[in-house]
Amino acid sequence: MDFLIDFLSRLVSQFQSPTLGFLIGGMLIAACGSRLTIPDAIYKFIVFMLLMKIGINGGMEIRDANLVEMLLPALFSMLTGIVIVLLGIFVFSLIPSVKREDGYATAGLFGAVSASTFAAAMVALDEESISFEAWVPALYPFMDIPALVLAIVLASIYMKKQNQDEQNDIDVWAIVKDSLQGSALSALLLGLALGLLTIPDRVFESFYEPLFRGFLSVLMLIMGMEAYARINELRRVAHWYAVYAFVGPIVHGLIAFGLGYIAHILVDFSPGGVVLLAVMAASSSDISGPPTLRSGIPSANPSAYIGASTSVGTPVAIAICIPLFIVLAQAVF
Amino acid sequence: MTLHIAEKVVIVTEKIIAKGVCKIIDECGATGYTIIPAGGKGSRNIRSTTDRASVVDDFSNIQIEIIVKNTEMAEAIMDKVRARYFKNYSGITYLEDIKILRPEKF
Repeated sequence: MDFLIDFLSRLVSQFQSPTLGFLIGGMLIAACGSRLTIPDAIYKFIVFMLLMKIGINGGMEIRDANLVEMLLPALFSMLTGIVIVLLGIFVFSLIPSVKREDGYATAGLFGAVSASTFAAAMVALDEESISFEAWVPALYPFMDIPALVLAIVLASIYMKKQNQDEQNDIDVWAIVKDSLQGSALSALLLGLALGLLTIPDRVFESFYEPLFRGFLSVLMLIMGMEAYARINELRRVAHWYAVYAFVGPIVHGLIAFGLGYIAHILVDFSPGGVVLLAVMAASSSDISGPPTLRSGIPSANPSAYIGASTSVGTPVAIAICIPLFIVLAQAVF
Repeated sequence: MTLHIAEKVVIVTEKIIAKGVCKIIDECGATGYTIIPAGGKGSRNIRSTTDRASVVDDFSNIQIEIIVKNTEMAEAIMDKVRARYFKNYSGITYLEDIKILRPEKF
């Protein structure tokens, strides 16, 4: 009983975090019909800044890290991405009102990783003074790319069987390339390389690090506004998407939390790392995943998967999953 | 001033397929095209122009204008774009009669 009360009180205090406040604030002003807009260019710049900061920071610390420790968590990241996609495809195949291609695309998007959710989780861990290995951000592509590739490959095989696309050969490398060229992963990988190969400490400490939290709060505001704007699109498709988008992140996060716990026992993966792995699994890609899926599975309806991810999946991942997994880690470890 | 008769193909579609559409235009032998950001309302959704932060920028719309000298080339472009993309992507295309000043450019 004490455990439960402790758990709930920690959860309540997590809900007061500024990150979450900005997200809900964004939804509220959008719901009130506010004319406040944040220009697209600023949104893109913020995403770039956050990923550069995460990348440079990771790169700087990887220099002294033992990368053999990373092997098992990297493997578990890939496994989580694959399991989420297979599970999602299976769940959607049980629902007759959902078009199969839409199911594949939605599962792929939820298997992929959201950079903004990930950044929010890093700040939340920082506030709780929970440390994690420097190379944890480098796990991002290990989950993101296999999930997108698997969803697109399975969808193409399915469509071939239906004889809808005769000329469409599956090019796995093209999907991988498209993911790597996306704005989020390019910035993250460039940051990692810069942190690893150059000595960016001064520019990092004077520019990227101090701006991180402020920019994240603006990004959360944008995500909140976008979530509200997309709800209309979600209303037009089957309601099962909303159910999946609500339950999915929690289930996916718990799967990754379990795998992370195994890694904790076997290779001493840090509790903070386990939380970040779980949040990565809970998140659904909002920047680079949608265009990749749109090109990879063109017959799927983007309103279905983007509506599910942006208007329900991402808010659930940020508002429920981050506090839940932090509190779970505090209780378990 | 002498003006010359020409045709203008207009394609309003998703930004994500712009590269592919431009490749078709080149293959049909057109000498150039103009791409303009677009927004509005259609059968699939209302699309905003670029003032609001759109989380997925590649889903914004564009308008591509191609000036060609003969109807055959114009129809070839329209037909190829429709066959390749319009089943899965939103888009409209239409043809306009226009007058141009310097025919040697097209």
